[in-house]
Amino acid sequence: MATATLVLTRIRVGNGLWTVLRIVLVLAALALVAYPLIFGGDVWAQRISRGAIYAIIGLSINTLTGHAGQISLGHQAFVGIGAFAAAFMASRLGAPLGFGLGAAALVGAITAAIVGMVALRVSGLYLALVTLAFGMTAETTIFNWREFTGGGAGASAPRPAIVESDFSYALLCLGVLALVLYADWRMVATKTGRALAAVRNNEQIAATLGVNVTGYKLAAFCFSGLAAGLAGGLFAHWNQVVQALDFEFQVALVWVLMTVVGGLRSRLGVIIASAFFALLPLTLPNFLASLPWQPPFLNEAVYHVLPPFIVVVLLLIVLRFFPGGLGQLLAPLTRRTAHKNGDRG
Amino acid sequence: MRKKRHLLKVDGLQLRFGGLQVLDDLSLTVDEGQIVGLIGPNGAGKTSCFNCLTGIYQPQDGRVLFDGTDVSRLPTHRRARLGMGRTWQNLGVIDSLTVTENVMLAQHQRTGYSALAGMLGLAGTWLRERELRRDAAEIIDYFGLEDIADERCGSLPYGKRKTCDMAMALATDPKMLLLDEPASGLSPEEALGLVETLRELRDRLKLTILMIEHHVPLVAEVCDYVYVLNFGKLLTEGEPDEIQRHPEVIAAYLGGAAAEPEVNETDEADDTTQVLRASQSPGEPPEWPLQPAAEGGAHGAA
Repeated sequence: MATATLVLTRIRVGNGLWTVLRIVLVLAALALVAYPLIFGGDVWAQRISRGAIYAIIGLSINTLTGHAGQISLGHQAFVGIGAFAAAFMASRLGAPLGFGLGAAALVGAITAAIVGMVALRVSGLYLALVTLAFGMTAETTIFNWREFTGGGAGASAPRPAIVESDFSYALLCLGVLALVLYADWRMVATKTGRALAAVRNNEQIAATLGVNVTGYKLAAFCFSGLAAGLAGGLFAHWNQVVQALDFEFQVALVWVLMTVVGGLRSRLGVIIASAFFALLPLTLPNFLASLPWQPPFLNEAVYHVLPPFIVVVLLLIVLRFFPGGLGQLLAPLTRRTAHKNGDRG
Repeated sequence: MRKKRHLLKVDGLQLRFGGLQVLDDLSLTVDEGQIVGLIGPNGAGKTSCFNCLTGIYQPQDGRVLFDGTDVSRLPTHRRARLGMGRTWQNLGVIDSLTVTENVMLAQHQRTGYSALAGMLGLAGTWLRERELRRDAAEIIDYFGLEDIADERCGSLPYGKRKTCDMAMALATDPKMLLLDEPASGLSPEEALGLVETLRELRDRLKLTILMIEHHVPLVAEVCDYVYVLNFGKLLTEGEPDEIQRHPEVIAAYLGGAAAEPEVNETDEADDTTQVLRASQSPGEPPEWPLQPAAEGGAHGAA
């Protein structure tokens, strides 16, 4: 893969060809999603929804860790609170889906802002510990609050008629992903992106350039929480039932890992890696079990523990060979266009 | 020039780190349109003074008046918005951004749209971004960085990054520039160019400049007024040629009276002899460089 990067950086092509290449790339990505969505039936529609939800979570962590340089190991709390809020709105209050998702986003943003206020005072390892503790606490307190979450049985989150089918729900998820993607793109391309880059690198320099360091850190937490809450709301209606079990620490860890493997600050990389990590546990065991030849001592039960193993191996490969993640591998394709358009890929 | 309005007035600044008195009752005044030098041996508290002025350190006592308002309690970014631009001894550029992006970052406070509007991608923000990019290109052209405008700052040589830092300070649209050792690490030609740049900034852009500088000849060349700091106290102040003849200044630089445990004592001795020579023949331009700048050592804070 390293050689592939080298080759790609050495290719010198004209500007026009780059634009064409970029359009082809986008079309190929869309086709990659559209094909299984149209021809794969409900199973694939569900998988694509899940991929899109993970991609939103990946972008959420990317905002916080990639752009603002703050770590969060408690993201399951933001997503979980969003999910329970959406379920509560739908099943208890009977509110329309839009209100449910809005409430999920709002609750996620508020929760993240509270954690962000702590984050203003600690950094690095201590912030990791604080967010970790916050996530764990949320798991055992808020998620066990029977009135709100429905206890062990979970809260049901029925879908309204308009997105009843898996196909239309997948379209909804992709639409929300597109919105988050747009907001993220504009955020990075305007003054917020530059201010966050300064805050990430050196807070004192940022402040002397007139950047409100406190404000931007909090804003990053808010946006991250908003996206996470939104993803949680989508997850609630995707699964149609929300349980505290869905938001254990392990998933938060996988989310952070997938963002790192995708490459911090690389939108495309994060989306691809998130979708990959979302689909891996769903598809790989079945795929391996369906192969005509089965190696000895291996069975389906073993295949089910393979995905976490693959995640870890991928992480090691990324850390050793591409510290910039998948995005580093894609950089020759995206950076060229970045100069022309004035935003950073 | 001396009869103008005070732009910056510092009154009785006291800064302590634990038991260490970094600044002791420091008062200084900078008039509008002046280039003022702040000199002193390593560890005299010059950079700490800058950090107090820009609000990075909170002094235990004393007031900072900028442009008629008391900014002593304002956070750093609010002071920057009032028009305090600053460069850094160890460079205020963001390495992961390109030169253009760095300059656009410095334009942060005059983007004219809110962060939220930018995130929502409102039409006005696209327009403003294009204008900002054009303004940035102008500033970059002015400093002769157009060839490397799209290079990441981290990959540039020291001199270019230093120039970029200066461009950024200017892009904040300041009333006053605080320059922390603008000539350190520059080649002789670059340092000579700096003299021109500083004068042009003052005369054409009507900027007021307060600068920390080790190269006394540069100070003598461009400064209208000089403050000398030693061990956090104001040793003396005056016109550059008075300062160069001042026995206490010479003593402080030679380390004679104070007996400082300076490592680069010989360097500083050279510095002073050069100063003396420069003062004997004021018509002659000073020679560059005197010696490698004493950088990277004490940050001026300790």
